[in-house]
Amino acid sequence: MIWEVFRQEKTGDRHTHCGNVHAPDREMALMFAQIQHGRRMQTHSLWVAPKDEIAEVDADEAEFGGTTDKAYRWAMTYNNIDASFAEEVAESEAEQEEAAQKRGDV
Amino acid sequence: MDIETVKQRAGPREFSPADDLPREYREAATRMIQFHANSEVMGGYLDKAFTRMAPSIDRKLACTAKCQDEIGHAQLLYRAAETLGVKSREQMLTELEEGDGKFLNCFHYPVDSWYEAPMIDFFVDGGAMRRQATLKNTSWEPYAHAMDKVCFEEGFHVKHGEDILRELMRSSKANQERTQEVFDEWWPRILQFFGPTNDESRHDDFAQQVGLKTVSNDELRNSFLNMYVPKAEKYGLEIPEYPRIFERDDGTMAVREDDLDWDEFWTIAKNDYEGSHEQIGSRRRRHEAVAWVRDSMDEWETGAAGSPQAAD
Amino acid sequence: MPGDSPDSDLSPEEAQLLRLADDEFVLAERYTEWQIYAPTVESDLALANIAQDEFGHARLWYDLIQEEFGYEESELVWERAPDDFRHSTLVELETPEGDWADTVVRGYLYDVAERLRLDALADSSYEPIADRVPKVQGEESYHREHAQSWLDRLTGSGESHDRVQAAVNRLFPYALTLFSDTEHEAEILDAGVRTRPLSDLRSDWLDEVVSYLESLDIAVPHPADTERPDAVGRDGTHTADWDALHEEFTATYHELGFDEPATLRGENA
Repeated sequence: MIWEVFRQEKTGDRHTHCGNVHAPDREMALMFAQIQHGRRMQTHSLWVAPKDEIAEVDADEAEFGGTTDKAYRWAMTYNNIDASFAEEVAESEAEQEEAAQKRGDV
Repeated sequence: MDIETVKQRAGPREFSPADDLPREYREAATRMIQFHANSEVMGGYLDKAFTRMAPSIDRKLACTAKCQDEIGHAQLLYRAAETLGVKSREQMLTELEEGDGKFLNCFHYPVDSWYEAPMIDFFVDGGAMRRQATLKNTSWEPYAHAMDKVCFEEGFHVKHGEDILRELMRSSKANQERTQEVFDEWWPRILQFFGPTNDESRHDDFAQQVGLKTVSNDELRNSFLNMYVPKAEKYGLEIPEYPRIFERDDGTMAVREDDLDWDEFWTIAKNDYEGSHEQIGSRRRRHEAVAWVRDSMDEWETGAAGSPQAAD
Repeated sequence: MPGDSPDSDLSPEEAQLLRLADDEFVLAERYTEWQIYAPTVESDLALANIAQDEFGHARLWYDLIQEEFGYEESELVWERAPDDFRHSTLVELETPEGDWADTVVRGYLYDVAERLRLDALADSSYEPIADRVPKVQGEESYHREHAQSWLDRLTGSGESHDRVQAAVNRLFPYALTLFSDTEHEAEILDAGVRTRPLSDLRSDWLDEVVSYLESLDIAVPHPADTERPDAVGRDGTHTADWDALHEEFTATYHELGFDEPATLRGENA
């Protein structure tokens, strides 16, 4: 069976999908994943999960984030309020702005 | 790993579920994260009340989105706590409804007017954001990951809270006076939000030694003052005389801790305040009322053994 | 303001829009009552999102009424007499405490009707409505799927099945008011604002919901056997539940006395 492999580069990071391996069970999947996906790239940890257990929904099937205006849940909308007084508020706003740009909302 | 090694290695995101950590660390982390998760849930009650009160469609949308974020944060935090292997989410939720789960002092006071919205949504949330930013450096990795998402989302909460305050303080004299009254009542609670003073805190030392906590309560309280006192004054709010706030040698602000009523605080910490009983009682009733749905979903899940269903 | 003069003064477009907006607004208010109280954390989030969508749709339709007919939000939502609201009484009913079945049944019955209604508005002769339908439809399908996912899983057996049945029994007569017509129906059809009459929508709706619910072993009352509720909503008659809700959500607005309700819009609103 196929196992999807997820790598954590260094402690503190999240695991991200990096490929897959064929293996009859979890133990063998871990053995193979170490070699296939861990021998060159910086790797602190690997997870394997059966491909069959992974379900998907994509942008063809779901309107991620909705289709009607939801500006009220973004910090940038409150543009008559200055966030610079608190570093963490300004930082949150900057992250949100980046996300909005990626989503094509801006 | 023994506790000495934990203390030596303690640093941002240093420990993960892959590590074999001593019980003391895992229990301390569970306690801290559970408190945080419970607070998101119990804080949600207040924002839910504000949603129904909101005086415009857009304010209502922002309130309901904030409420949703809070439950989303609770979801992240209960999970982060579960990863320590001490308690399951179900146990923590049961403890909360039975009155054994602790949560932030500010959420032991039921709200009944829109004038209280900026107190929670600007000042309390602002304090929470300050604290959460420092927790990005906590030693328990899943907790730090949760903080990444929480910090990303919370920006609009505080800005919305400030916008609500601005609107109130630039409207009628009656509204301004009422807001000031409410601020006088909430100000001491807001200052106590950061927890007991350094001397009084029991668990703090250990939490800091193992990197769970990176900044002391007093430091957080004082940095909050430096940011939020000018904002309050900008909108025409007067800072109450007590507790006394003074300027230190380096120009930063601090509060005279013995001006704060710690009796009420410690009663609240035991979930024994009048408001505590009301909020927890309400929680218990509502949570029990839908137990039948959870039972039904559990049955569904086990009934379809072999291929886990995406049941809630 | 709508309702100041006799209802017949409303244009067919206005009448259709008010009905749309009021339905979504009131439904959303009832959904938000579940926040923090939902059975699980995840279900809390899902329902909150649906509530936000519905408020968003209400806002979209109220905005259109404001733009095209010269009203303000204050007139349409906050200062309008409760009896001038035109939502179906289905959406205004209080949700009995802990009755998640009520909410998913109500949502399902409403969402199927809504899809049919929006389909019949997609080719509206009135462009401002036709233009906005796709955006709203884009979100409504998740709502229906959500309701059905719950119904599929709650109707297995035992207590949850009984609760769903009880909810259907109680809500069905009110659900029929979704299709109650008004004095504007002929005009709405003549002008092409909606391309199918309410009676046709009702017929399709019945076929679909009866077929689906019966497949889950839930009996559906026969429309001919159900008693028409006293309060239909479409003609301004409402239940005491609505009066209480209306008072609650407008109280702060009146207390504060702001010049106008705050708006928070992005560039692409």
